[in-house]
Parts: sequence; C-alpha cells; structure tokens
Amino acid sequence: MSSLLDQARRVADQARALGAQEAKVVASRSRGVDVEWRDGQLERLNDTTDQSLSVSLYVDGRFSSHSTSDLRPESVEVFLKQAIDLTRYLEEDLARSLPDPEGYEGRPEIDLELYDPSYEQVTGEQRRSEVAELETLAREASHHLGDKVVSVSSSVGDQYAEGARVHTNGFEGARSGTTFGASVSVNLKEADGKRPVGGGYTYRRHRADLRSFPEVVAEAVENAEGKLGAQKIKTGSYTVIIKNKAISRILSALLSPLSGAALHNKRSMWEGKVNTQVVSPLLTLRDRPHVARGLGSALWDGDGYVTHERPIIEEGVLMTYLIGDYYAKKMTQERGQSVNRTGSALHNFDWSYGDQDLQALLADIGDGVLIDRFLGGNSNGTTGKLSFGCGGHMVRDGQLAEPLTEVNMSGNIASLWSSLSIIGSDGYPEGSANSPSCVFEGVQLSGV
Amino acid sequence: MLSDHAHEAGESAYRGSPEEGVAYFRGFGVDESLFRAAFTAALARGGEWADLYFEHGVSQGISLKDHSVDSAYTSITLGVGIRVVSGDQQGYAYTEDLSREAVVRAASSAALIAESASAVAKFSVEGFEVKGRPNRYPIAQEWMGVEVSEKVPLLNQLDQAVMSADPRITKANIGMGHSTTAILIVESTGAMHFDRLPMTRLSLSCTAEEGDLRESNGYNLAGRRGFEFINEERLETLKSEAIQRTLFLLDAEQAPAGSMPVVLAAGASGILLHEAIGHGMEADFNRKGISVYSDRLNTRIAPKGVTIVDDGTRDHDRGAVNVDDEGVEGQRTVLVEDGILRSYMHDRISAAHYGVEPTGNGRRESFKHTPVPRMRSTYMCAGEYDPTEIIKSVKRGVYAETFTNGQVMIGAGDFTFYIKTGYMIEDGELTRPIKDTNIIGNGPEVLERTDMVGTDFKYDEGGWVCGKDGQSVPVSLGMPSVRVSEMTVGGVNE
Repeated sequence: MSSLLDQARRVADQARALGAQEAKVVASRSRGVDVEWRDGQLERLNDTTDQSLSVSLYVDGRFSSHSTSDLRPESVEVFLKQAIDLTRYLEEDLARSLPDPEGYEGRPEIDLELYDPSYEQVTGEQRRSEVAELETLAREASHHLGDKVVSVSSSVGDQYAEGARVHTNGFEGARSGTTFGASVSVNLKEADGKRPVGGGYTYRRHRADLRSFPEVVAEAVENAEGKLGAQKIKTGSYTVIIKNKAISRILSALLSPLSGAALHNKRSMWEGKVNTQVVSPLLTLRDRPHVARGLGSALWDGDGYVTHERPIIEEGVLMTYLIGDYYAKKMTQERGQSVNRTGSALHNFDWSYGDQDLQALLADIGDGVLIDRFLGGNSNGTTGKLSFGCGGHMVRDGQLAEPLTEVNMSGNIASLWSSLSIIGSDGYPEGSANSPSCVFEGVQLSGV
Repeated sequence: MLSDHAHEAGESAYRGSPEEGVAYFRGFGVDESLFRAAFTAALARGGEWADLYFEHGVSQGISLKDHSVDSAYTSITLGVGIRVVSGDQQGYAYTEDLSREAVVRAASSAALIAESASAVAKFSVEGFEVKGRPNRYPIAQEWMGVEVSEKVPLLNQLDQAVMSADPRITKANIGMGHSTTAILIVESTGAMHFDRLPMTRLSLSCTAEEGDLRESNGYNLAGRRGFEFINEERLETLKSEAIQRTLFLLDAEQAPAGSMPVVLAAGASGILLHEAIGHGMEADFNRKGISVYSDRLNTRIAPKGVTIVDDGTRDHDRGAVNVDDEGVEGQRTVLVEDGILRSYMHDRISAAHYGVEPTGNGRRESFKHTPVPRMRSTYMCAGEYDPTEIIKSVKRGVYAETFTNGQVMIGAGDFTFYIKTGYMIEDGELTRPIKDTNIIGNGPEVLERTDMVGTDFKYDEGGWVCGKDGQSVPVSLGMPSVRVSEMTVGGVNE
C-alpha cells in the first residue's frame, strides 16, 4: 500500500517539476480471479492483474486528465511531459483548481472493514469446488423442471484492489479492499423454442457475508421458472409492485438529473427543486458512506473531501443536488451567485422502509402487476419522460398469476415516484442501494 | 448490391508489412524469446493451443463546453492477454507488466484451465511468422502530427455555427477524440498477426429552450480514419443533425401505447437487427444451447426477401477488422439468406465446436478480455418496396427514425430499442412527431412479421458501441426502410 502512495507522491512531484502548478494523482492496482463453470465442466478461468496511473493536471489556468498503464519510469516521464504540453494549448477555465483543502480535514478514524483477511486463504481448489457445487445445487433445485433445463452455469470470484490518491495541495489517502462474488444461471427451454434464463448472485466485501448458495440458487430457479409461458399484458393503467432487485433502474433515473453536469448543461428536470416536494412523502433516502463492509463505503470522495451521512430525499422533499467541486465553481462563475459544492458521490442507501414484505405487498394490492426485471428503454433527465421494457407477473387476489413478457412501462419519472403508495420492508441484500420493493399507483403499461 | 461493393473494396486493399508488428512491440521488450517462455508456461499443463494478445493503445480527445475548449484527456493502455484453450474451455490471464517474469506468471495462471486435460501438447514451434493481412482502413493523415492548436479552432468554429443557427439552442457540448490501437496476436502454431486500428469520433450535444420547454439531444459520427475524417461535410452533418434532432423534441410527444405496425426508417434502424437477431446468432450462445436460434440453422426464420449480413470488410467502417482479435481475417458473413438462417457468427472455439471455419467475429474490448463472437457491421440488404409505399401501407402506426439504445434477452429473444425521434403514421401519412418511446418485441416473431423491405438501403455512420459479457466493442449498422406488421409500442394512453 505504502508503495502506491509513494508512487502517487513521486508522480505528483514530477508533474510539478515538469511545469504543472498543481496535480491530482491516483495510483491503483488490483488482482482478481474468476472461475466459470457450465454443464459439468470448467468453462473459463480468468486471472487478472491491473495497474494504472491517473493524473489530472492544472497548468497555467488550464486543465486536462490522463491515464496510463505503462508504468515504466521512462514512459511515465514522457507521458507527463506530453500531457503538460497538450494542456498548454487548451483554453483557460478559471473554475479549474484543486478543491479547498479545508474539505480534506476531519477524516474520521474508522475501520470500514473493506478488507477481508480471509482473502489470502482462498485457494484455486476451493473456487473449483464451490463453482461446481453451485451447479449441483441448481440442478437439484430445478430437477422438477425435467428436460426443460438446457444449461446451468455458475461462477465464483474474488478480487483485491488498492489505490492511493495525492493532491498537491495537501490531500493524501490510501485504501484497499476485497470483494467476493458467486452467481448461477439456469437456462430453460419452452415448447415454442424460447429459452428463458433466470439468475441469482451474491457479492460482498467479506467472504463470510456471502448469501448461502441454496438461497442464491433458489433465486435463480424461481426467476427462470417464473418466465415460463409468459404472455403479453393488456395495455392499460395498473397498480404495480416493482420488486426490490429491480428498483435500481427507476432509482437511477430519479437521481441522475441531480448531478452537477446535468444541472450545468441544463439537462436536469430537478433544477430549482431543492427544498421542494418532488416525490411521494413516503420516500426518504439517505446516503451512508461509513457503513462497515458496505460496497459503496468510503471515507473521502473524488474531491478528497471527507464524506458524511446526508439525506438526499426527506419525506419526498429534495434535500440536495450532487455537485462536485468543479461544477460548483463553474456554476458560481457562470451564474454570478454562489453555488455550493454538495459532493457528487453516492455510497450506501438507507430507505424509509415499511413493515410489509413482498408477500404482504401482494396481498395488500390484491390485483395488479409485479415487475421483477427491466429490459432496455431509457429516461430523459431533462424532461423526466421514461419508457422502459420490463417483465414480471400479473397479481390476482394477492397471488402471483400468469408471467408477463414484452411489457413497456412509460410515463414521467417525477409522476412515477409521486405515485409511490407503499415502501416494503425487504431491502435487497445485494449491492449498495439496499432497495425495497415499492408499490406505485396508476402506472402505464403497454402490451396488446 | 451495395454489400457486394463493400466486399470488393476490402479485397482490393493492400497488405501490410509483416515485420511491422514485431518491430513495433520490440520497443516494449517483446521478442521471440518472450513468446517462447510464455507458450512453454501456457502449455505446460496440456492445453491444446494458446495465443498471446499484445496491445498498445493511445487515445486522446478534447472537448468544448460553454464556448471554450477547456479540457482534454489522454489514455494509454499497454498489456498482454494470454489464453490457453482446451476444447471449449479456456484459461485467461493478463498483465500490464511485460517483463518476462510477469508474462510467464500470467501464462502459468492461464495454463491451470488444462489441469485435468489428458492430452499434452508441449510447445515446440521452430519459428514465428507474421501473416499478411488486408488494410481496410488506410489513413490519409495520421493524428500523431496534428497539434492541439489545429484542433481547437475546429471546435470553436463549430460551436459558433451551432449557437448562431437557432436562438432556441442554449447550450452546446462538442467532443473530438481519436485512438490508435496496435495489436500483435501470436499463436502457439507460430503464426503472428499485426494490426493498427484507428478510430476517430466526433460528437455534438445541444440543449434547446422554448418557453417552459427544454430538451437535449445530439448526434455523433465515427469511423476508422485519421484526421481526414474531420472535414467540412461531416462537421456540417454533425451540426445540422444535432440541431434538427434537438429542436424536433420541442414539438414531439410520446407515442400512444399499444400494439401496432412499426415502420423503421433506413439507416440507424439496423439497431433492430442488432438486438432482435444479431446477438442471438453469436455462436457462443448457440453452442451452449441458450439462444432462441440454437436449433434453427438452415430453417426459415424470416420471410423471403430478408437477407441479413454481418460484415467486417467495409473500408473505414467502425466495425471493420483486417483480422479479428484471434488473427482470423475479417469477412462478410451472410447470416440470413432470403429468410433462411445460414450461419452463426463464430470465433475459433465455436467454429471448432461446430466443425466450421471461423468467420472473423472473435472480438474483444482489450487485452483484459477473452475474445467472444461479436458483431461487426450488421445490416439488412435492400428489398423491393418503394419506401413511400411502405409508409402508405400503414393505417395507424409508428415511424421510427432515430434511436439511442437497445437490449436483448438472448434466450427468450425479447428485445427493446428506444426511439428518440419519429412520427406517427395515420392513414398512410407521417403526422405527429414522437419522441422517447421504447419498442419491445421478440426477435423471431418480429423477423416473421417483417413483411416489407425497402429499396433505400442506408449505412449509419454513428458511433455505435455494443456491450456483451462486460466488454464494449465498436460496431455499425445499416438498414433499408422496413415494415414490421406488429410490435408493442411503449407510449402513453390516449
């Protein structure tokens, strides 16, 4: 670790010696192994070693950013010289300067537990045995589907990554972490030739925190089986439950227009909306950067600023934009009035969870639609218009009914989140969004 | 036919210098002794064959925002990927450190795939030879000699032209980028292949405002060319398309929801082929039995008159490959001939599995990835219908003109693509402008419903990127006007 920090310091000093007034340097490296298994045999073994160097340069009021994986000392010097020369040809941007070092201060002394020491004990034999076990479990769990099962594949993998950041105005930081993952896919075949697939996965910082393999396999089999005999929906307006693992699609559509770049480029539907009610009062969303073992946890952000827990949406009221140092300065300059740097990074979410799990939500809505996946589509961050492909099930009398495919959801991202009527209790255990299943009213779905 | 012309153009190009590749990478310490050490380690456990993929790439770009060319980037990649193959199995390792120690360590890791293999084929090649190749992307003017000071005024002039074109345009962002990637592929048979892949990209995005309405859109162009790609004609096209596509949105609404006929305009509508058909015809999915087209070779999957090609031979095309990323020469592959599925797209592994020749579709994003069957330039050949006749044939439907993205579920065949701009068709006429509407369908079903194919074939010069297995590669598209008799339109209730 210290060697990476030393490398970053060296390159920062070198950049200044070659003519840059200031510089940001990030040095990183990682090692990962993934093993893929399919239908009784090893399919692919990937062993990867990465290293890279990223440099942002501030030269005579001008700015550029560069990266290289050619870390031979003689190459790095040439790389820096050329990068600095290139920067001199650009036009001045007075908003380009290193962040205020005040923001670097007060970094908490917390162990985020991003590194799992058991990483060093993982062996190739273990990986092979686990990836084969996943297939065996999936075959057993899908036995009742008989010859509908055409292929089962699985994978396990682990990665160690470390990085160091140096800003020439005083920021220094280094961190390392591990991740572990396992996944399984079950491919089925229907009489009409369609071959739906279902998947399950688990991905964590610590190996011991991975979900159990039977749980991951059950998710994959349920997912695949739930697509058999899928039909199109009748076009109309429905009460819709969006399952916890699918929520991220509409969550990112909600949050993307909050970025400094979107606001600066006049591409944000949320411009002028901070401190106003923008979605259902049921929704509270907090960002928590210091969750132990959290996939998104970090003590500092891309500006080097110390991270803090903060509300993004509080009872439907938009609490903050996501503006980094540069766009805050840029918009301040452009608008002639102060625009605050609020920080652009998001880490781990905490929701205003309700007390109903998915079964209870199904019973609650009685009739409607459960959407458990999205497929393609897009949203327009400037206007809020959205149109997504999706699939799932009809819900009748509080129970899952016929599977649905080729469904399109359309409308407006603000209206959709304003129609939120229930938030579930079932935060999805994978990823950093911790999203629960949510119920929305009057959602436009199209099919036949 | 246009597709035949493209094929001839590729074949007539000159062949590159065999020594060029070895000399290029010698500067990074790469030589024959390194190959021997790597292959000895790679095949030590019994893999059937192995290959080394050396890559050195340099990308550079500048961008304009707020009327100022105020940022630039450079990205340099260097590394080698080592693959060991045993039947359908492959071990893969890469390193960015080209020292002998690091390369041998990576090769030894890749070799583990063959741990249980019974056949042992020790490496025993006498010499290495660089194979000739066509040159489908000769460069008229290398970017290397072009100073940033020459590029900056081009962006400033374009910005001025955009901002003065219409008072409703209130923001413009412009990007100009280029890359050159040198690759040296060394096979354990001793064959070597060298290529230099250029790419130039231009992009312009605009924001327009009118009263309370605000919209953003853009356009981009890309091709395997040097600085000569930046000419007046393309800059004018970029400007006019980006402005027109942005202003169009101010008057457009989402389409009505439901199932209806969809007419796809010539050009970028090739996204339909890419999503509905292309991915499902990549042979890795088929050899695993998980594609909706797995058992459909030599059967009718589309009406007569539908011919679909995946082509790596179009000069300067974004999807063109002199050789693919396994060293197989780029080819023109007829996937569907007059409605009959004739071929999948193969890499070496799938070709061996099916007992056919590889089709030059083995592509990868970089040395950090294993090659897999990927599309290049995928298009439908021209048909017999006048495009105006196609529009006139629709009582009520959607005319899809420009697109942003698409996605497919390979096994089920369900796919989507997102219409950014288009029109309603009412009583055979283009009427209301529409926008931001997703279309969803099932690949085989949509192919069967493709009942009119126009005479107006057109390639699209946009900077399309295809994603698969976590890898992105440049591709291109082409299409004549086409009518699909019924698809689900994800619009709003009227």
